[in-house]
Amino acid sequence: MTLLNVEDLKVTYATDDETVHAVNDVSFSIDEGVNYGLAGESGSGKSTVAEALLGLLPGNGTVEHGTIEFNGTDLTSLSAAERRDVLWEDIAYIPQSAMDSLDPVMSTGDQIAQAIHTHRNVTDAKARDRVRELFEIVGLDPDRIDDYPHEFSGGMRQRVTIAMALALEPDLIIADEPTTGLDVIVQDKIIDKILEIQERMDSSLLLITHEIGVIAETCDELSILYGGTVMEQGSVDNVLVNPTNPYTMGLKNSFPEIDEEDEDPVAIPGSPPNLNGEPTSCVFRDRCPFATDECATSHPDPVALPNRNHRSACHRVKEAAQMRQAADDPETWGIPDDGSADSDRGEIILETDGLKKHYEQSRSLLSKIRGEEPDYVKAVDGVSLSVRRSEILGVAGESGCGKSTLGETIALLEDPTDGELTFDGEPYEHYQNGNLQEFRRKVQIVFQDPFDSLNPRQTVRKLVGEPLTIHDYRTDETERAIVETLEKVGLTPAESFLDQYPHELSGGQRQRVAVAKALVLDPDFLICDEPASMLDVSLKVNLLNLLRGLADTEDIGIVYISHDLASLMQVSDRLAIMYLGRVIEKGEVDRIATQPKHPYTASLLSAAPEKDPTADRTRVLLDGEPPDPVDLPSGCAFAPRCPKARDACREAEPGIEETGDEGHRAACYFPERDDESTAADADGIDDGEVPASANADSVHD
Amino acid sequence: MSTETKPEAELYERVDALWTIVRDQFAFLRRDPLAFAGMVVVAAFVFLGLFGPFLAPHDPIEYTVRGDANSVLRLSAPSADAFLGTTAYGKDVLSQFLAGARPTLIVGLFGGLGTGALGFAIGVVSGYYGGWVDEVLMRLTDLTFSLPFMPMALLLLTFMTPNIWLITAIIVVFLWKMPARVVRSEVLSVRERTFVRSARASGASNLRTMLYHVAPNVLPIGFLYTAYGVAWAIAAQASLAFLGFGDPTMTSWGRMLRQVFESGNMRVAWWWVLPPALGIAAITTSVFLIGRAYEEVINPEIQTDQ
Amino acid sequence: MTKFQRFLFKRLAVSILLTLVAVSIIFVVLRLLPGSPFEALVTSGNLNQEQIDEIRAMYGLDQSIGAQYVNYLTSLLTFQFGYSILRSQPVWDVLEPRLINSLILLVPALVTTAILSSALGMYAGWNRGSGLEKGSIISTTLLRSTPVFITAIFFIIVFAYNLEVVPALGMRSIRATPDGYLETFVSLDFLHHYVLPFTVAVLYYSGDFLLLARNGVVEKRGSEFLKLHRAKGLSEMEQLARAGRNSMLPILTYFTLRLGMIFQGLILLEVVFSWPGIGRELVLAIQQQDYPLVQAAVFIMALAVIIANLLADVLYAYFDPTVSTNGGSSA
Repeated sequence: MTLLNVEDLKVTYATDDETVHAVNDVSFSIDEGVNYGLAGESGSGKSTVAEALLGLLPGNGTVEHGTIEFNGTDLTSLSAAERRDVLWEDIAYIPQSAMDSLDPVMSTGDQIAQAIHTHRNVTDAKARDRVRELFEIVGLDPDRIDDYPHEFSGGMRQRVTIAMALALEPDLIIADEPTTGLDVIVQDKIIDKILEIQERMDSSLLLITHEIGVIAETCDELSILYGGTVMEQGSVDNVLVNPTNPYTMGLKNSFPEIDEEDEDPVAIPGSPPNLNGEPTSCVFRDRCPFATDECATSHPDPVALPNRNHRSACHRVKEAAQMRQAADDPETWGIPDDGSADSDRGEIILETDGLKKHYEQSRSLLSKIRGEEPDYVKAVDGVSLSVRRSEILGVAGESGCGKSTLGETIALLEDPTDGELTFDGEPYEHYQNGNLQEFRRKVQIVFQDPFDSLNPRQTVRKLVGEPLTIHDYRTDETERAIVETLEKVGLTPAESFLDQYPHELSGGQRQRVAVAKALVLDPDFLICDEPASMLDVSLKVNLLNLLRGLADTEDIGIVYISHDLASLMQVSDRLAIMYLGRVIEKGEVDRIATQPKHPYTASLLSAAPEKDPTADRTRVLLDGEPPDPVDLPSGCAFAPRCPKARDACREAEPGIEETGDEGHRAACYFPERDDESTAADADGIDDGEVPASANADSVHD
Repeated sequence: MSTETKPEAELYERVDALWTIVRDQFAFLRRDPLAFAGMVVVAAFVFLGLFGPFLAPHDPIEYTVRGDANSVLRLSAPSADAFLGTTAYGKDVLSQFLAGARPTLIVGLFGGLGTGALGFAIGVVSGYYGGWVDEVLMRLTDLTFSLPFMPMALLLLTFMTPNIWLITAIIVVFLWKMPARVVRSEVLSVRERTFVRSARASGASNLRTMLYHVAPNVLPIGFLYTAYGVAWAIAAQASLAFLGFGDPTMTSWGRMLRQVFESGNMRVAWWWVLPPALGIAAITTSVFLIGRAYEEVINPEIQTDQ
Repeated sequence: MTKFQRFLFKRLAVSILLTLVAVSIIFVVLRLLPGSPFEALVTSGNLNQEQIDEIRAMYGLDQSIGAQYVNYLTSLLTFQFGYSILRSQPVWDVLEPRLINSLILLVPALVTTAILSSALGMYAGWNRGSGLEKGSIISTTLLRSTPVFITAIFFIIVFAYNLEVVPALGMRSIRATPDGYLETFVSLDFLHHYVLPFTVAVLYYSGDFLLLARNGVVEKRGSEFLKLHRAKGLSEMEQLARAGRNSMLPILTYFTLRLGMIFQGLILLEVVFSWPGIGRELVLAIQQQDYPLVQAAVFIMALAVIIANLLADVLYAYFDPTVSTNGGSSA
């Protein structure tokens, strides 16, 4: 039976100057007990749909027309009070940013109890019992219901919001990007939890996300949104396996995946459409390689494909099969396929040996006088790495593992506490004693946030030109140096960008300017700290390809720091996996991808979702969260969470030299073996026909 | 802008660009009628401050209004002889009002600018460098908070002859803490932003980072508090004058009010009370209204509706 | 030592240091600056040498500067304020009733306005763009930016002179000869004199609270947590209550700071209304060069602000669950 039926929904936002057409004639329906996915990049209108369903549109948002039928009642026709009664009782909501979604000055338990009290007439004691029960269901300690949100980690806060969503056992749960911003392992656990609970309660789920992989794994049906319209919808198996819409094809192809051997992800060039007017042509036309004149005349209506649960909004839907084939070829999208020409790696440009960065914890005057030993946060604790010219070294790890501190220490933005750091044949002390400017010229760092990494009050010309002024480099031809660099990072024609301010650029363009700022001094070494983490998939792939090209052609060494294993696999030559300040595994990318030795690496790899709905993967759900980096357990730091830990692991810490060879090393006494990893498959669901492409268990060598 | 453009064209473009920036900065005035009204009042006030003394029909202090039979017109209601009536000493209220704008303008302008500039500089340095510099400067603001402004100012003015610049200086010395605190906390958050770290990483010196990357991004707050500083300075100047601690050589609105109050004529001589009282109220309120409208524009926290 | 205690310890140390510095500045201003008051005291009046010596001895001016400073410090910090020159009675006996008069006027005014204006401000912020919001902002901007003596003059002209509903001056009618605080304050006559200055004080203080509350709620209105509250089905008023609760801290802090400044009295308000408070007394003392009284009054005012500052910091740390992980989780 249909639970939710959305028909012709149109939502606009009034801004100062114009009207933004955020959602245009979107229709879809969700049956009882079905998991429905709403996929799209930022600006696709997916969150607006959720807000319209919940009646939570901001003040300037209006539902222009369309109906939202829930259990047969049109929600748009209800009064505000009637609508409030439906909320939570029937439709609950798991918000996007668990970090700020909880009221900071109210205890978590009270916030859940508040939801119960609002809709049910129960005693305080009963509500509290229910809250304890809910905490237990989502895997939180029931004794912590009186704790405040800031006392919980990000993943735990998301569990609190899930518990809240479950409080009244609603018919429909709307989850808006419930895992964005969480680490893969946590994300995997949260998704697993949502599915487990939702199965038990038999409610429906509307999952909104930009991660196709998450939808592929969790949902039965989906809609793909772009520019506020539905591009393609239907059963997950049909849409994701055999897409009929060029946008879906592009989107799917641009997702990097861990086990893709030869296929490089293909980026969609261009940027999302401007929604300041009613769409008059196909919203994807500007970026679509298959666009014809017909596409300019109108946005296509979704066409139902014969004999299956599958609709697609494309004028050329009949040619889907041919398009699908062409779409796999990067050249179709106007991206030259230079092949993955493995360039020769040059000599070692940067090397660290036992590099440490410890932060002293602040302590009282009294204990200083007493001469007590201070506590240290061991952010980076004995890291040994080397990077060659023309090589990209990927550094992977969850948040808090010290990977960003490692980047900043290598960049000498932080003083190393101990250990050696050699750049271009000279120890770091050489640079710190008077040669820092030389180091700053040769080593550049690109930071995470494209929206914040550029000074909003400088034009592109000033932004890119400033390093030249600082280092008095090519100052006689500043303008030419700037233009050259902008072209190098793909901002063409460069002249048109020179006088723009950051706010006039898109996220992808901004990050390119940030890269240009780093490249304008012709550095020898580049450190990239999560440069792509806030970009949409299609833009992310663009950036990865750019960096790969730079490493190959410019002869520079690159350290690429990220939590996104799939991107890292894509862009790097070698990988280093970090856990609590240590590198626990390092080696050639393919060897780590196919045959991880450290159990932590194995679980990281297994946690990444697959975009192919037919693929199955084994979840290795780790217990708990990383321990406090101040008070580490003795022995292997991973031992408390390790499924394979034995006494030896808890006694002494394994070194990185423990196992493996030159090309692949791991700090583990009992590394995973090829034959062993399949044993973990016990709880996997065998479908027989499933191609064994999944993860650790692939048997490629 | 290509390199071949003629110098004039380039100049024109630059002026045009500058004008656009200025226009954008003041765009809020057009959207907010109150702020616009405030702007009109401020413009009128500046005009009075500059030209008021020349417009005054009589000397505000020397000239005594005389009626028929050459008798001194004391406390006369508005009439043809004196459009705004006369004071208890037979002086022309209109002339005093016109001349009295100038000290108010001087103290307001320089007190406000001084407060804004000093506070901005200290706020930026304190926030950017942090550590002991910050600690010392912030304890200094605590100190100026704890020493009561009015009593200290009165005290200083009893044994130093009050003059308009001394009053301005005292106001600045006591008010800079306001912008300094706000600017500092703003700098603290700007300092953590990625582009500042990025500037450091590309080898920019502290001075360069502070001047080119931090300061421009807190400038709007600085402007805002300069505007508030103007209003505070005007209010403080008027209050001091009202208590009898103004510049004795100059007629000011505050001093006019003191004379009505002291002479005990408040009950009858409304024409003597209203012009200076309304003048002060109008100008301080206008500056605040403009400041508030500007605050709505620059404070991203309040920009929740798009 | 918990984090909270350490924080408390540091703030306390800073406050003590601040007090010392502030007191020293008062000393410098009163005795060391060229033409400083105590010097002037001796040189100005038509005194013969004997009298001069007497006065110098009385205020310790015949001692070395160092000794004077030490004397001054010890006497102030032990609350030995000495004798008022003009009134010939102990300074504290003069100041105490004046201080009480100020507090009895301003504390209720501050509390009233803090509650009413904050509530109004929250409501206005919630209904952003409404006539109520605009009206309340304009009127409070007018009231807080106009110097308080001008507002007071307007109120006197309207309510005392024209409508003649309340007296314009003083705290009690001239004929009243009350004895003790109770008799002074518990009377209709007092109330009659109280209404006008109280109202002006309430209005004068209202602007800051209103704007603080309004901005706080406007900020919170778009926040993620409020969206979740809304999704839970909370009514408008319940949502507003949460937004308000989340904006309470700055208001509380501001209230505490203002409370400290109340010890300064509202000089101009007291002067216009001839309210015998500490502020007006200070102005009189300055005009009449009664410096022992001046230094004691300024010292009390500075001390009050420093203590209020300390209190505000501590309250903030205590009530903000995200700040005090060790201190105030029970809040």
